[in-house]
This record gives sequence, C-alpha cells and structure tokens, in this order.
Amino acid sequence: MSDQTFKDYVQDPANPVPPNLPNQPASAGLPSHVPPELVVTQWPLNTQEFLAAPYQFMADMHNNYPPVYYGLDPVRSSWGLLKHADCLHVLRNADTFRNLEAVPFPRDKENYFFFIPQEIDPPHHRKYRNIVDPLFSPAGIKKLEGKIRGRVNELIDQFIDDGECEFTLAFGRTLPVSIFLDIMGLPQDMLFTFASWGDEMIHGGSPEVSGAALAKAVEYLTGAIEEKKRNPDDGVISLIAHAEIDGRKISDKEAFGFVCFLFLGGLDTVYATLNNIWAWLAQNPDRVQEIIDRPDTDIDKIIEELLRRFSVVQASTRFVMKDIEIGGVQIKAGDRVNTLLPVANFDPDVFPDPLTVDFDRPRKTTLAFTVGVHSCMGGHLARMEVKTALQEWLRRIPKFSIKPGEKIEYKAGGVIGPDKVPLVW
Amino acid sequence: MPKVTYIESNGTEHTVDVAEGENVMRGALYNGIPGIEGECGGACSCATCHVYIAPAWWEKVGAPENEAETELLEGAAAPVKAESRLSCQIEVTSQLDGLVVHMPETQY
Repeated sequence: MSDQTFKDYVQDPANPVPPNLPNQPASAGLPSHVPPELVVTQWPLNTQEFLAAPYQFMADMHNNYPPVYYGLDPVRSSWGLLKHADCLHVLRNADTFRNLEAVPFPRDKENYFFFIPQEIDPPHHRKYRNIVDPLFSPAGIKKLEGKIRGRVNELIDQFIDDGECEFTLAFGRTLPVSIFLDIMGLPQDMLFTFASWGDEMIHGGSPEVSGAALAKAVEYLTGAIEEKKRNPDDGVISLIAHAEIDGRKISDKEAFGFVCFLFLGGLDTVYATLNNIWAWLAQNPDRVQEIIDRPDTDIDKIIEELLRRFSVVQASTRFVMKDIEIGGVQIKAGDRVNTLLPVANFDPDVFPDPLTVDFDRPRKTTLAFTVGVHSCMGGHLARMEVKTALQEWLRRIPKFSIKPGEKIEYKAGGVIGPDKVPLVW
Repeated sequence: MPKVTYIESNGTEHTVDVAEGENVMRGALYNGIPGIEGECGGACSCATCHVYIAPAWWEKVGAPENEAETELLEGAAAPVKAESRLSCQIEVTSQLDGLVVHMPETQY
C-alpha cells in the first residue's frame, strides 16, 4: 500500500470501507528510521518471565527497556511506549494517532464494518458516544447501583456456605456477564450460555474454539438487534437499534458493530480486574482489614488505586498519520505505536514506588481506561461493579485466603489476569 | 431547563440548556461545544474539564468539595486560578440557571 492510500482515507461510518493500512512485518527488515539499539524482538508482555510475575515485570520495564522501543512482529511491528507522558500525548492527539483497525478481528473487506465507537475517530466519534453516554455516565450508572449490589449478593449467596469457591468462575465471570445482560436488555436465562462463550473465547485453547464461541455470540446478538427493532425496550441494544446519526437512522452495520463491540469490550476486562484484585486481597489480609477499617468515603480512592495497580489491558494501539518525534525518537507516518497502559501506570516519575498499593496517593491521571476521545465508555460501570463487589464481599466474607496447595498462575493474552483464583474462608 | 453559557478562550460564547442533575462538563459534550474534553467521563480522574467560573457565580458554585478535585486541578494543563474548577464536579441545578464558565486555552 502506498502512503497515499492511508493519508487520503476519509472515514465515512455510513459507508464503511477498510482503511487498508500498511503493515511492517519483521521479514521486511528494519525500517531505515529505526535505530537498531531500540529494537526488541519479542512482545514483552507474553514472555515466560512476564507470566511468572506480570506486574513486577511491568514495573521493572522502566529499568530494563528503552522508554520508546521498536517491537518486531511477524505481521505488524510497532513502537512500544512506556512513559506516562508519552502515552498521554499519543492518546490525546487523535488526529495524528488514529484508531483505525483497532480491533484485531478478521472482517470481510467486501462487506466491511467498524467496531463502534472504538474504531470511529473524530469528527464522528462523539455522535455515537452521545447515544449511550447518558446510560454509562456516573449519574446513569448510579441508577444501577441497587441492582448491581443485589446481583453481587445473589452470587455470594450461592457459595458462601461452601466455605470456598473458584473465584474466577463463581464470581469474576458471572457478575459482569449478568450485569451486561441487564444493561443490554437480554434475559438472565442467557447467563450460563454467555458465560461459557466468554470462557471459550478466553480459555478456549485454540483459535478454532475461540472463533466458534465468538461466532455464536455474534449470531445471537444479530438476532437480538432484529428483535429489539420490532419490540423496543429500555435496554442498550434497543437504544442503539433505534438511534439516529446526523438525522438519519442508524444502519444495520453500525448497530451490529456497536453491539458487538460492547460485548467484546465489557466482559474480559472487568473479569480480569476482579480476579487480579481478589488474588491480591486473599494474600494481603492486613490490607483487607485496612479497607474495612477506612471510612466509607474513602471507597472511591481505594478503587482508583486498585485500578491503577491492577490495570488489565496490556496496550492501546494507534496508527501514526504523520512524522513526529516521541521521547527523542523519530516516528514516521505509517508506523504503529502501542501505549503500554499498565506500564505507564507504573512510571516512577508520576507514581513513585509504583507497586505499593497506597490509597492516599495524590490523584493523578491513570491509564486503566486510557485517556483521550477513546477513553473507555464502560469505566464507570466497571468502577461500580468493583466497588459494590468489594463492599459486599468484605462485609460478608471479611477473612479469606488462597486455598492451601494452590498457586496463582497467569496465562498469555491481551488482558492480564490470573487463570484461577481458588479461595477458602 | 437551566441555561449554561460556555465561553471559549477566543471569546466565542455558547449558551445551551443543560438538564438538572447533569454536570457542567456533559452539558458541553452533549452540545458539541469545543474547549472541554472530559475524557474520563466524570470520574474525577483526568483534569480535562477544567473551567474558570465567572466572578458573579463564584459564591454559588463554591470551591472544590473533595480532595481528589483539588489534587487533580494541580495537574491541569492551563494556569490554575482561584476560580478554577473541574466542570464534571459541578451539578447543574435550578440555582445555577444562567451559570457562566470560561474555558481555558487547552485541557492537555
């Protein structure tokens, strides 16, 4: 693809065509503007060393890696950014750093669609956010607090008398799926079906199993959109299916890309966040007691610090539209840059002693939900799920630990979280 | 519905209706007014909805009520003044009908 192709690309959500961005496979050799001393030959966040202790590894990257490195990849080599300031710069300049082809999901080029709003850049982006933002804003999510808290307690009811549970399945998976169904306007009797699709997609073990699970979810959601078109309700699928963009009715492809993205974006991330936090709590009873002893008004800063310390999305990638310098390194139009979100949250220049969980840390911008126009629309929902889960769990199960003989292990994937968290109390 | 006037750093004024219970940051976003980013969506975690409250409204709007807003304001991109607030933390009420806020040159 020539430079001309992507530089002239004008995104039209009503008539989606693939942007055909150029790739830089390792086999093509090192681009001439990349200094060899900045080259890293493997994606750092999947190595055995990383999986042995992911968060320690990411904090150590500030000592062991160049702050701007070039990561070789068989398909799509890209820059990696570790510094908080560099990541903010990229994520906040949507004209230079675009989010095209952001979701690595194969699509038919002849029948293309965008994942919405993730892959829609300004000036169109905000039109889609405005459809759902009232529901996902702090005030909108506050209205769901009672329901979410009730659901948390129903889940705890199911296993509290057993004195043990495998947290990731019993709670980490079930809570976000259940709330997702409610918000979308889907029936709770789909809970186990959706939960197993989620599990197969993440733990399927092969692209075939993951792909098959995703295909089933996509088929179901497509049917649900059709159903909501005929029978509107107050769920998000119906809201999207009946939305207007620039005075025209939303297209089928737009509705599909929007609903599918909400499914992809919402399940893994809260799941992994809960699993990480509970694994830590189970191994730090003194910190559990500290949370219990603190005044209720501290809960927001406790959640913000836990989200910083246990950020789960490895990276957010952008496509570079023009030549630019970052951290003294020349980056060219046509390159890709990864903002390594959890690593930036451990930047010692911004968060001294970054691995320490310090609820009284001065409030700074964290990257758990990224920043800029594409910052996570589900951030407030995620916060509410973690908050109510933490409050109700500690009220009912204040003392718990990792089941003896079990240990916490991490598996490779774009979202960082323990594979199993077996708990006893 | 209460009216809020947003004034850009170049002097351009936008007066819009904002529903009671919404916050001042969202009023700008929903109406496509440039000058407020509000990138964290109102979680009080980013300082990109920084505004200066017009003098006539200082008393009614008041100073930040929580520590997080004060700490975040310290990191705001534009100069922070006594009348600086994060607009996501200001709820629109009938008492604030007619509110005037000035937006800084930049939020980043």
